[in-house]
Amino acid sequence: MFKLTKLVARNANVGNLLATRHLLPRSFASAPALNEKEITATSQQADEPIDIPNPFEKDPQQCILCKHNITPHYKNVKLLSQFQSSYTGRIYGRHITGLCKQKQEEVEKAILRAQHCLLMPGYHKDLEFLQDPKLFDPEKPVRPHKY
Amino acid sequence: MPSYELALVLRQLPRPELISVIKRTAEAIFDKGGIIRKFENLGTRALPYKVSEHGVIHREATHFTITFDSAPTKLSDLKEEFGRDIDIIRRHIFKLEEPEEHKCTLHDEMLPPSYRKDVQEIIDIAKRKQKPKYNYNSGLDYYPFQK
Repeated sequence: MFKLTKLVARNANVGNLLATRHLLPRSFASAPALNEKEITATSQQADEPIDIPNPFEKDPQQCILCKHNITPHYKNVKLLSQFQSSYTGRIYGRHITGLCKQKQEEVEKAILRAQHCLLMPGYHKDLEFLQDPKLFDPEKPVRPHKY
Repeated sequence: MPSYELALVLRQLPRPELISVIKRTAEAIFDKGGIIRKFENLGTRALPYKVSEHGVIHREATHFTITFDSAPTKLSDLKEEFGRDIDIIRRHIFKLEEPEEHKCTLHDEMLPPSYRKDVQEIIDIAKRKQKPKYNYNSGLDYYPFQK
């Protein structure tokens, strides 16, 4: 970026010089060669490709738990039940939840812990949490189903 | 001494008896040379399914956690002791771990397959496993490899 601004500044300088020469031809008549040399040198450099990072690159995607910096914990049953099917109680896969590998693993581990500690049902979703907002749509997975 | 969390599911009891059960478990930890850091009451509520333990069917229970430090060799003794307690339905000891820093890898996972590192490794393995293939138009009048 710094390089670019420098280049722009130099071009502006050259433009100014040119403009002044048009206005006052006599004052520059004594040293036209020097000025011309400088112009050719800068025009050679202006043609060169500039080394800058891609300005159109999008920000890297982040999963919903990483974005809000949440670590799933087995006592946080309300959060965990959002990753569970309300029909069968099974944990939704990564292709549906859209989590990164590590967070999905942590969620699965936490759900199993909660179920062992009798905090969470295994064959259905807790009735208290049935109306909770949906984080994803199992009918529209991020990647296709295996079946 | 590492920190552990003891997740207890206690039988539905009146308050004074509940206190005596918790005192009993706490003293068991002290007897094994442990230190207690925190008590946490998660409340009394209906179990996700009926649980038969010590010959009694439980439908409601009190969840309780105790955070303590103890020698790892004493854990099996503690579990065995709590397992004999009639008022304890479930007991689980989890190691307390600091959530480790990790960067979301979702962006790399969502790339097309040939750009993903794990897929590239699989392709490399498949390439390595390929047998040398003989071109029949190479001028030899015999097959140089074992068929």
